[in-house]
Amino acid sequence: MTLIGATLNTVGLLFLTHAVYSTHEHTATFPHAPLPLDITIELLVSILVLSAGIVFTSPSLKPIVWARWAGRLSREGRHGEGKWTREGEEILSEGDPYAFLGLDGGIGGKREGRLGFWDVRGKRKEYAEWAKNGGKQ
Amino acid sequence: MEEERELAINPIVATSMQHNTQVVSNIRSLTASLFGVAAGTLGMESYTGFIFYLIGTLIVSGFLFTFRSDGKPSEYFHRPLGDLWGGDVVSGLSSFVLTWTLFYGLVRA
Repeated sequence: MTLIGATLNTVGLLFLTHAVYSTHEHTATFPHAPLPLDITIELLVSILVLSAGIVFTSPSLKPIVWARWAGRLSREGRHGEGKWTREGEEILSEGDPYAFLGLDGGIGGKREGRLGFWDVRGKRKEYAEWAKNGGKQ
Repeated sequence: MEEERELAINPIVATSMQHNTQVVSNIRSLTASLFGVAAGTLGMESYTGFIFYLIGTLIVSGFLFTFRSDGKPSEYFHRPLGDLWGGDVVSGLSSFVLTWTLFYGLVRA
């Protein structure tokens, strides 16, 4: 996508420069004659190509509805976007803001899961068994 | 009230909205000065230039609609009509007039 945009921008800039230069030369030699059709067409085409290139090189939009945005985050995870800092560290895309809650741990997972869902009865049963065994593992 | 309930059910991500608005305003200011260059070298005067600018921004909005938002602007903008089609048109007008007059003076005068 960026390659298409860069080529469009380069071609558009070349044509635009040429068209503006031609107009300048034309008005310098024939001050009161109307502009020839080919220069007008070249100018308009170059403007179109350049604006298409600008749109193509712009960063892609992000979905604003929370469900779609979060869905995309969990599907793609954090990944590099081809940008690096001056120190050489890769800049990652934005991540899940609730990752610190440990939701992925869950009941079947390795970790405790969300703190609000701490399994009190399970813990009490574990403690009872531990106490029954004389406090040894 | 209706909209408030809708937003409570489907909340909106503020950072994404900010990012999208930023992208649109960047594109607008770049293309506005570009259209100014074209209008100045074509020697447009008074209303013709402003109509040219409006047509140009409409074309750029069309590009944004097809290439950036995949034909579904309501997924990326809260109010597609105001944020995508009409977003930052007036603020781009000043840079349009700036390059318009500059290139008119350089090429024509």
